[in-house]
Amino acid sequence: MAFHPREARFGRREFLGRSAVGIAGLSSLSTILAACGGGSGSSVADLALARPDNPVTWLLYDDNPPVAAGLEPEQGPLKIYNWNGYLWPRIIKDFAKEYGVKVELSTFSTTDESMAKISSGAVDYDVFFPYQERLGRMVLGKLLQPLNHEYLPNLAKNVWPALRDPFYDKGSQYTVPYTVYTTGIGYRADKVQTTPWKLSNPYEIYWDERNRGKTYLLDDGREAPIHMLLKNGITDTNTEKPEDIDLAKQELKSLTPAVNVKLSTDDYTNLPEGRAWVHQMWSGSAISAKWYLPEGTGPEVLGYWFPPDGVGAIGSDMMAVLRSAKNPVLAHHFINYLLDAKHGYDNFAEFNGYQPPFVALDPERLVADGIVSENLKSAVVREQDFVNGNQPLELSPEGQTLWQNAWAEFKAGA
Amino acid sequence: MSTATHTTRVDRRPSRARRFRAWLANPWGRPRFLPLFTLLYFVWSLVPILIAIRFSFNEGRSRSTAQGWSLRWYYDDPDLSVWNDPDLRSALFQSLRLSAIAVAIAVPLGVGLAIGLTRWRGRVARTSRFVSVVPLVTPEIVMGVALFLVFVNLLTFIPLGTTAQAIGHVTFSLSFVLIIVRARLLSIGPEYEEAAQDLGAPPLQALRLALLPMLTPAIVASAIIVFAISMDDFVVSAFLSSGSTTDTVPVRIYSAGRTAPTPALNALATLTLAITLVIAAIAFVLWRLVELKRGRRGSTLQELATLETEATRLR
Amino acid sequence: MPEPGRDLARRRDALWAGLALPGIAWLAVFFLLPFYVIVAVALGTVDPILQTPAPAWNPLDWDWSAFQFVLEGLFTGERAFGQVFVRTIVYVTISVALSLAIAYPVAYYVARHGGRWKGLLLLGLVAPFFISYLMRMLAWINLLQDDGWVNDVLLWVGILDAPRNWLDGRASSVILGMVYGYVPFMILPLYAFLDRIDRSLLEAARDLGASRFQAFRMVTVPLSVPAILTGIAIIALPMFGDYYTPDLLSQSPRTSLIGNQINLYILGGQQIPVGAALVVVLMLMLSVLLAYYVSATTRAGRRLRE
Repeated sequence: MAFHPREARFGRREFLGRSAVGIAGLSSLSTILAACGGGSGSSVADLALARPDNPVTWLLYDDNPPVAAGLEPEQGPLKIYNWNGYLWPRIIKDFAKEYGVKVELSTFSTTDESMAKISSGAVDYDVFFPYQERLGRMVLGKLLQPLNHEYLPNLAKNVWPALRDPFYDKGSQYTVPYTVYTTGIGYRADKVQTTPWKLSNPYEIYWDERNRGKTYLLDDGREAPIHMLLKNGITDTNTEKPEDIDLAKQELKSLTPAVNVKLSTDDYTNLPEGRAWVHQMWSGSAISAKWYLPEGTGPEVLGYWFPPDGVGAIGSDMMAVLRSAKNPVLAHHFINYLLDAKHGYDNFAEFNGYQPPFVALDPERLVADGIVSENLKSAVVREQDFVNGNQPLELSPEGQTLWQNAWAEFKAGA
Repeated sequence: MSTATHTTRVDRRPSRARRFRAWLANPWGRPRFLPLFTLLYFVWSLVPILIAIRFSFNEGRSRSTAQGWSLRWYYDDPDLSVWNDPDLRSALFQSLRLSAIAVAIAVPLGVGLAIGLTRWRGRVARTSRFVSVVPLVTPEIVMGVALFLVFVNLLTFIPLGTTAQAIGHVTFSLSFVLIIVRARLLSIGPEYEEAAQDLGAPPLQALRLALLPMLTPAIVASAIIVFAISMDDFVVSAFLSSGSTTDTVPVRIYSAGRTAPTPALNALATLTLAITLVIAAIAFVLWRLVELKRGRRGSTLQELATLETEATRLR
Repeated sequence: MPEPGRDLARRRDALWAGLALPGIAWLAVFFLLPFYVIVAVALGTVDPILQTPAPAWNPLDWDWSAFQFVLEGLFTGERAFGQVFVRTIVYVTISVALSLAIAYPVAYYVARHGGRWKGLLLLGLVAPFFISYLMRMLAWINLLQDDGWVNDVLLWVGILDAPRNWLDGRASSVILGMVYGYVPFMILPLYAFLDRIDRSLLEAARDLGASRFQAFRMVTVPLSVPAILTGIAIIALPMFGDYYTPDLLSQSPRTSLIGNQINLYILGGQQIPVGAALVVVLMLMLSVLLAYYVSATTRAGRRLRE
């Protein structure tokens, strides 16, 4: 029997479930304030909210320069800080061998945890994997160091043009993309009476009473409401209009009497193991779900819907070098290594399930390679999805409060 | 009695009615209804555990149907068994580490607290006596949140993780030690060490020679209990964990239990249970040996159980 | 009293205080102080950009907006917090009542009729102490699966025609889990009390012509009132802070408890003061219950002595 290597690891999902609710629970207030250059003097106004129509070029600071060009990589040990179970161990081994250095991987399972550790100044990790909703705060807090693109030739070579110079970090000054995913609707083709594809409004499937007790939303204070917004044609996934958020809340609440909706971030097992028939789902989970099917059940029972026009919910994760890095050049080399076409592909196909935004990766190739079955082709993210789709991004403090209170009220079952 | 007459009227056959009446008049008397009820309780309370243990030996990956026998989820599976999955293994060791620390710190502190507060008369002692049992009736979430906020906002030099978790475990364990030892002390009375002192022993020595030996059963029992409740703790460990490396067994069961793709989780839980029982048994046997050497007989088991119930009674 | 005696007493008192001091200090720092921190966080503010709590240590700086928010949620509008509190109280009440209905007969039987099996029975009562709560929940998750043994048995007996989805977010599964998890903690104090009841009292009642049942009703039950109250307090108070049982056995918003809301706000990061305020409100509610418990047991104790 074959098992997916991630089978025993849940960290990434736990993180996704928790973090979107928690935007900034930095553990050590004082230290990050010190990093900001004194007290909570940094005002909300300094925090630019990046949007597709409001691209942000982050400030560079004199006291936080990028590493100089033309240096030899350091001798390590290279310290990587990543989500639990989000990086193929083989890649790390290969890199260590190729560069003749030791590589240490530390993991975390919530953003709060990682931010607390980094901002405490007690750790000296080199490579970090930041999260969209925290990016501005990390830059303002000078926790990341600017990248030197001279060491990152693979960025221009392999990555989608749309993410080489993304709106959330113009010029990729602090980050490069690691993975991309969509948030769609997973379903069990052998159990549901109708699929999202057949509905004029596919999000209506959540209200299908025939799936009572078998309908799940992601237990995530951003993702779940976003599908409610999209159902109503509101494509601004970062809306801070109270009436929009209220609408999403009312839609969520109506799901409890309709289908007794359940909340979970374990989409990748709930669907294949039959606990769920309809499940709001991350595309990476749809791709790895096949590993969790019971014996004798083929991947054809799985289905994944994402709007063909790409106007749906999407997300992306990034890589960065920490300001505290002792091996900044080596860290750049490692990031470049992961942006290599082969290494990035292997990390995705052999372990991760979450794909890198590479030009060379297209649905046809993945199906041909047997990584993705034909019926799950829609789970492969295309560059077009990133142009049309909408990510959950950093919100203003007021906006976050609105979102969280709506989510808490729904979760109260009131 | 109105119920009885009512019953006779409804039931026409007198012999059965009488029997029913007798039963009704005395449902708690001779074992009739009660033994069955108690038996059902034990079945209900223990069989699910036995079944969960049985699934940990499953050859297949199901946790709901029996599929052969193997040690796959303990050791054999190269990736997913408790032994080979770093997350599960570290959870087991973290649980053991915290329990050991909790016993090592909470038992001495608690014994001192118990002796001091029982013998020492004064207002401070009275207040402290009250305060030190309040943790027992404080919901874990309150304690977990409180300690979390302390370490994040005030005592920031104590990082989340093992240190913070150990402090939490000691804090809720203290009251258990206090109550078990105190119950024993109250039953002993102050005469012994006073007699020793009257014979000229300095107070500390009197304490060591006269009192401590008599307290041994209570101290052993409290050590066992602290170990067990520390292994059992979920909320405090979860709130004070710094991430996957400091997750304990219950935290891992919580985060994976809803999906738990494999019986490795059952294996982990079974191992935890086995370790707790083995350690309790070792402590128990050692104690019994000591008692036998001193020439004391009688059911040590009974005494242990009584001490444990004592603990809950006084909560 | 001769001088040396008083000196000895003083020296003894110093020894007792010295022995107790480390423990008292520990509890002061790690038990009492945290409560003040909760209050300071609940009445504090949030850093506008980092959104981390800025506790208000000084009562003059107290900001009541988190409490205001909680109170509004309790009593106005959609009453989200109010509904969760009511649901929690209902679940706890039902679970405690069921636990008592199970615990009392079992404790009574083991205490009064255990006979030569008493040691073994007692071991069975103590055993759940050594099995973690989470493991016991895990056992039930296994059993309640669609293809689990509960469905197998019910289908086999013929009570069900088709497997039922027990984990679909129904209240009964959550309450079952809570009863299963907490009932052992109620049995033990009941046992300890019932085991101690003076048998001569019962014999006296019988001699005066009372039937066994009457003796039970007139002697045993009144005597065990304090034990029953203790048992209720022991399981009800932790139940009020439970959030993991519904998380594991239901996952539906329909069964979420106060603990779930606290968890969401505390770990969510951006509105920690609201979470802290919820904890304070919960604590206030529980201390009312605790005060009632203390006065009720004192009253019961006094009545028994009369």
